[in-house]
Parts: sequence; structure tokens; C-alpha cells
Amino acid sequence: MNQHTYLRAYMAGITVPTIFLLVVATVFCIGRYVYNVPVPVERVIVFPMAVVPNLWGLWNMLFVALHGRTRLAIGFHGALLPLLLGPLGFALTRILDFPIPHFAMPLLPIGIPIALIAYYLAWKYLVAFLNGTLGIA
Amino acid sequence: MNLQDDKELRELLKQSIAPVADTELQRDLWPQMLKRLDQQPVQVPWFDWALAALLSAALLLFPGVIPALLYHL
Repeated sequence: MNQHTYLRAYMAGITVPTIFLLVVATVFCIGRYVYNVPVPVERVIVFPMAVVPNLWGLWNMLFVALHGRTRLAIGFHGALLPLLLGPLGFALTRILDFPIPHFAMPLLPIGIPIALIAYYLAWKYLVAFLNGTLGIA
Repeated sequence: MNLQDDKELRELLKQSIAPVADTELQRDLWPQMLKRLDQQPVQVPWFDWALAALLSAALLLFPGVIPALLYHL
């Protein structure tokens, strides 16, 4: 198990968001097509479907690459990821002219710490478990 | 089938099935087994429980954040 460390790190990283994607896609589809929520989710669904899992994988590869040098705990490393994903997701909504619901913008100051905590816990317990199972970090 | 046939059959089987070389384990697996048995279950510090509780409370109080969180997860 000493070979392809970065490949294993990538695979461990994409697992959690890929599993959550089932929940995300289900919620979005039910909201859009069952309850006819007037928000064109399909315009930005590519972000949680493709960008987020790949960034998790790459972020875990970065963690493995930096592990010996920075000694940053995996929870804190993961908690930094929303600081990259947030602006990227927001930029995508602007580029694709996605109408952000009016209730969402005032919740931004609350949403940032919530995302940081969620990511901290997800990385500390889920991604770290997967890393341990695959024999990395 | 007589004794001679049995002998011939045994010889034929020996010829057709190559003997397995080096059947010994390359390393001792028992220390790894002991290590696995000694592993403690995951200990969650109180700080993380507090964060999880805070996260749950925040999501209950501000459910409008949930779609944004799902979008970024």
C-alpha cells in the first residue's frame, strides 16, 4: 500500500461529497420538479456534481503533500476549503446568471461559520477515517 | 479401479498440478492483528460535540442556510 499515495488521497477525498451528492441531487430534484420551486437549479447543479467532489479530492491530495511540512490538523485543513469553494460557487452563480433567492444573502454571515464547522467535522471524522482506511496520513 | 490405477492416477495428478513453492508467509501478521485489537474506538472530544450541537442548532434556527450548504457540499 505504499504506491499511488496521491491517487488514494484523491479517492478518499471525493468519497464524502460523492455520497452527499445523492442527498443534494434528491433535494434539488424534489424541490424543482415536485414542488416546482421557481429556481433554475439545473443551471448550477454542475457545481456540486463535478466541481465540489474534485476539489475535495485535490484538497486531500494537498493535505497529504503538505502533511509532513505543515503539521496542520486535517480538520483545520478541511475547514479552509469553504473559503475557496464559497467564492467559486458564488462566481458560478453570477456567470450563469443564477437568481440567488432573496432570503439567502442576509444569511451569508451565518452561513460562513456554519460551513466552516460542517467542513471541520466532516474532514476530521469522515475524510480522516477514509485516509486511515486507505493507509495514508 | 485397482491399486495400479490408483497409483497411475496419483502420478498423473502430480504431473498435471505443479507443486506450490514458498507456502510460508512473507511476514508475521500476528503483531498487526494485536495492534488492530488494541486500537481504541474513536474518541470525540467535548469541543467537537459542542461544535456539532452548535451546527445542529444553527441549521434548525436558520434553515435557509441548508440549500447553500448543500450547494457547496
